[in-house]
Amino acid sequence: MIDQARDWLASALASRLQGPAAVWWASTADEIAAGVSDEVFVARLSMASRHVRGTAMLAPTADETAQAAALQPGWNPERWTLQETLRVALILARTDVLEPSFVASFEEAFRTADEGECRALYRCLALLPNGERFVWRAGEGCRTNIGTVFQAVTCDSPYAAAHFDDVAWNQLCIKAVFVGAPLWRVHGLDGRLSADLARIALDLMDERRSAGRDLQPDLWLCLGSHGGERARAAIELELAQGPRSGRIAATYALGRCLDEDRLRELVGGNDADVADAATRALAGQCGQDAWALLDPLAAAAAPLPNR
Amino acid sequence: MRFFDPHIHMTSRTTDDFEAMAAAGVRAVIEPAFWLGQPRTTVGAFQDYFASLVGWERFRASQFGIAHYCAIGLNSKEANNEGLAKEVLELLPRYAFKEGVVAIGEIGYDEITDAEERAYIAQLELAVANDMVVMVHSPHRDKKRGIQRSIAVAQEVGVPMEKLIIDHNNEETVEDTLNAGAWAAFTIYPHTKMGSERMVELVQQYGANRIFVDSSADWGVSDPLSVPKTAKLMLERGLDAETVRLTTWQNALTAYAQSGQIDVEALEKAPVIDQSQLFSDNSVLRGQQPRVDAPIPN
Repeated sequence: MIDQARDWLASALASRLQGPAAVWWASTADEIAAGVSDEVFVARLSMASRHVRGTAMLAPTADETAQAAALQPGWNPERWTLQETLRVALILARTDVLEPSFVASFEEAFRTADEGECRALYRCLALLPNGERFVWRAGEGCRTNIGTVFQAVTCDSPYAAAHFDDVAWNQLCIKAVFVGAPLWRVHGLDGRLSADLARIALDLMDERRSAGRDLQPDLWLCLGSHGGERARAAIELELAQGPRSGRIAATYALGRCLDEDRLRELVGGNDADVADAATRALAGQCGQDAWALLDPLAAAAAPLPNR
Repeated sequence: MRFFDPHIHMTSRTTDDFEAMAAAGVRAVIEPAFWLGQPRTTVGAFQDYFASLVGWERFRASQFGIAHYCAIGLNSKEANNEGLAKEVLELLPRYAFKEGVVAIGEIGYDEITDAEERAYIAQLELAVANDMVVMVHSPHRDKKRGIQRSIAVAQEVGVPMEKLIIDHNNEETVEDTLNAGAWAAFTIYPHTKMGSERMVELVQQYGANRIFVDSSADWGVSDPLSVPKTAKLMLERGLDAETVRLTTWQNALTAYAQSGQIDVEALEKAPVIDQSQLFSDNSVLRGQQPRVDAPIPN
């Protein structure tokens, strides 16, 4: 897979970099592949900013996105910047990715990394072999205060669902809700729902309601079929008094705990948004991707850099 | 009125904040050690930070007539970097017993990991062995269970409950904290933790016993005037002056004065500002005339 990923990255860069940037990319990739000191490695990652502006998006074509998903299920570079792509390609240009020397240099790069470098380093986790070697580093990435870095670790990547233990996984999900990261973009979410995550989400709902605040629609992603009667009561409360996005998400949550009778009632009810959501849920469209419709960024279909 | 803000990160705030706080009646603060918004990579960064809490930051506050105390500890987030955490824990005894350190803090859980628990227990043991007060940060995520576990572990290690302050409580956690016999602190934040309105309702429901408020103002959107603003709202809503005094001054003072590091008598007196004082030959002034004035009236 790593070779295919390298080819994908090289091809994506070849069609987008021109002139001195293209020359620099090719020569620097060769330099790194031949073996460089940590000092040179981290300097080259920084220098990518001198050749590609941080605001340019990669904007992969539909074919490129499909190829990416085929070579690494769960990897989606739709929201990558071009500069991130260049840096990931430089990191993967190393020929020692399976060796302890890579782990040491990769970690060393984090020690002095700025925000953009951190994003690129964490983006690599989707593609690096033997991902279990980087579990602590990925957890550290989730501790960040910087939303863009948090999303680089967690979103559009199969890494977290494949490698995080339950504690780290539950923290990721709830933190995503807290910081407004699109939880539905965390690949593998629906496969890692649990009773514990449902309880934490329900506790947070109680806290929000005690504080007189609306619930984040993404909280309803965390229940699945695990919330029991407590979840059913919370869903009914949201349907009765929540805002539009909350009512829609709570309807999907009903679909996720497979209450078809209640969904059919809602299809015939007065709330058009809920009726529409209930119809989709009955058709099975209540997986995590359904939340895309509630994500203003996805709805606008215009990914922004440095968000 | 006068106020005690027992949790505020002044290292992240400006002299404008100090002036506004002094004008609003804030007379004393506690600055607990925390993380700086991004992870530190060396033990030296912690060493300099602790040194500033007992040094320059205390001096800076004094220049605005505000008594500055601090808490020393390894925060829960950075406890997850276990190699570095070990070095920081070894460093703590060099700072935890300095003059004006009123507690070990802020410590506790963030993600509720094993690494956090190890650091928490080690610091609780340091506190117990030296008869110190403990300031516990409660987590944003899974808060209720985090607080329950913070209290249970502190009890196991042998922290007397009257020396345990659980911070960042809310409506869902206050009963666990009070029932354990610990102090319940409430952080008044504009958008996340607690608003003044909710705080008034909580005090109306639970009274003033072992409850106090703080700002936890830091590098994020927060308000260093949270304590006086909340006091004002409490009075407007008809809470009696004694309740307001207890929750915005006396209870925090009583809790942290158990450290023996607060000269209560001196604090009760009106402060005198003398900006002609220097710290290691440095002043907080930038060419202004030093202000040397009469005591601030209560």
